[in-house]
Amino acid sequence: MRKKLFRKIYGFNILIPLFLIFYSFGLGIGAEKPIVIGGSLPLTGTFSATGKWVERGYQFWAEEINSKGGLLGRPVKLLIYDDKSDAKEAVNLAEKVITVDKVDLLLGGYPGTACTAVMPVAEKHKMVYVSMGGHMKSFSQGYTYSFGGPPLMGEWWYLGFFEWMKTVPPDKRPKKAAIYTMNNPIGMALMDSIYKGCKELGIEIVIDEKYNLPLTTADPMITKAKQMKADLLFANGMFPDGVMTIRACKALDYSPKAIVQGIGSVIPEWTRELGKDGDYIFSGTSWHYKLKYPGNDKLIRVAKERFKEDEPPLYFGFGYAWMQTLQQGVEGAKSLDQTKIRDWLKSNEVRTIAGNFKFDERGLPKPFIYLTQVINGTVELIWPPDMRTHEPVYPKPPWK
Amino acid sequence: MFNLIVIIQSIVSGLLIGGIFALLGVGFSLTWGVMKVINIAHAAFGLLASYIAYWGLNLYGIDPILSLFLSLPLLFVTGLFIHRFLIQHITRSKDIIVASMILTFGLAIILENIMLLAWTPDERLITTSYSSKAIFLGDIIIRISNLLGFILSIIGISTIYLFLYHTKTGKAVRATWQDPEGAALQGVNLQKVSMIAFGLAIASSGAGGVALAYMYSFNPPSHNLWLIFLFLVVIVGGVGSIMGSAISGLLIGLITGLSNAFFPMQWINVLLFGLLMVILLIKPEGLFKK
Repeated sequence: MRKKLFRKIYGFNILIPLFLIFYSFGLGIGAEKPIVIGGSLPLTGTFSATGKWVERGYQFWAEEINSKGGLLGRPVKLLIYDDKSDAKEAVNLAEKVITVDKVDLLLGGYPGTACTAVMPVAEKHKMVYVSMGGHMKSFSQGYTYSFGGPPLMGEWWYLGFFEWMKTVPPDKRPKKAAIYTMNNPIGMALMDSIYKGCKELGIEIVIDEKYNLPLTTADPMITKAKQMKADLLFANGMFPDGVMTIRACKALDYSPKAIVQGIGSVIPEWTRELGKDGDYIFSGTSWHYKLKYPGNDKLIRVAKERFKEDEPPLYFGFGYAWMQTLQQGVEGAKSLDQTKIRDWLKSNEVRTIAGNFKFDERGLPKPFIYLTQVINGTVELIWPPDMRTHEPVYPKPPWK
Repeated sequence: MFNLIVIIQSIVSGLLIGGIFALLGVGFSLTWGVMKVINIAHAAFGLLASYIAYWGLNLYGIDPILSLFLSLPLLFVTGLFIHRFLIQHITRSKDIIVASMILTFGLAIILENIMLLAWTPDERLITTSYSSKAIFLGDIIIRISNLLGFILSIIGISTIYLFLYHTKTGKAVRATWQDPEGAALQGVNLQKVSMIAFGLAIASSGAGGVALAYMYSFNPPSHNLWLIFLFLVVIVGGVGSIMGSAISGLLIGLITGLSNAFFPMQWINVLLFGLLMVILLIKPEGLFKK
């Protein structure tokens, strides 16, 4: 009896701790250490409005991948610092996440100035860096670990416009172009495709002027364009100078055959704030929610349900697309080894919501850009034809 | 013909804008001249009035000019409170200018963040039925919104001028500015006079903010850009000089306009700030300071 009791107690005492030990070990083995992806975004300051949308794109991607079992079977954790819209701070934080936090993967930054500054840091530490880049200059420095997936290339910005213009009968094409460009690296990057396109189509450039931001008035600019009878206007600016130019066009009753605007007309504020005056403006983009690539329908739904946005903002899509590229690099390489990820990305095609890309030695896909036009308050896709969501309105109707 | 039209258009547009810069600058000049307070938050208060106008227009269809009946008294009272509870405490400082700059810089950041919370960082634009309409004088246009802003500017600057030169309190403000000790000996209540001047200055920024919002899109950090023009107006016109600010604003507008007509546009800022440097070298007290 005593022996039995002893055995019971002994057995119980032994089994319980053993069970607890194995149970704890079991838990430890099952819970994989998360893959930490870190970097910085402008969450406060000048670029915070856009930076927050990039962050939301990243977070949505992380949520989605975690719900599907993670990356390489491990959960994903994002470590995003606020660089306060300062490129120098973005560099410091890139160094911090690599050397102090020792992240597994690097997050792309925003805007182009921050990306340009972080790209050499990524190269120094041999970390794959997928972002918008900082136009052609940033991809011409010989970096091997940076990818524009998709990039935002000023140099390609109007390729779609000129490709579409080639389909317009020659007698209906514009003859004279007036170009007004903001005097900064983004503005300068836009000039490449304009000069090439105008030359190819025989469009004479009658005005080619640069202005410093902030623009104080656009009235004299448009007076000049009207006097010179320019029937194609390139307003290479951001939102504030863009709306001033459009309002000056309307006030002066200047209606060229086409108005092509740089960056401002693809953001939601353009249609919301300008109303009908913002219609018929052409521009370019590297992503649009109406593109017929898998995944865009999901973004539309999430933007509507979670953020009450009828159309997913541009940088929500970009953030998501950059993570798709990084994800495919990791999954393709089946490893977190940065060189293996880089090599896989350099030799394989990635499929994103912005398109399918093969990267060259600079980390860039083949030149591409989608032509957009604002029609009835919506940014529609015009070019390439297989992505078209609306027939272009050309020539631009007179102002009402 | 081409050149003449462009030149006249550039001058007209420049003068209209210059008038609006003057309106925003006049209150800035007043607090700097009277109290030695450089109010870095001046343009942020102007921006607050822009947002009130935007709200009034988009939520209730109230014309931006009418929104001033709400925003100006509100800003005036806010100015009184800020002076009473913040500015008065730094007037005992050895270096009021530096102390005021630090204090109001903080105030500007707080205001900017309040605006970010209330209106998000999105760009805003005041779009009325007359936003893109213009009066045609041959080939020259006068934008109705710019004209309204200019008229507002004339009314605002004239009101401040009449207050300073034709009212008892206004004369006390000037006396305080010219000789604080002498004014105190004559029974002028320095704190009360300064408080009223500060309230008035903040209210005038509201009128300037609405006038600027007619022309430019804005978001919460926009006040930083506007501030640059404030400094330009006040330094060229002379600190504390109301008419100096008015003429300086017009002069800046004129230079901007003429630069548009005769020089490459990217030179405008070089010319404007070059002018500022020359004035600082030749007449550091400003062109119109007696």
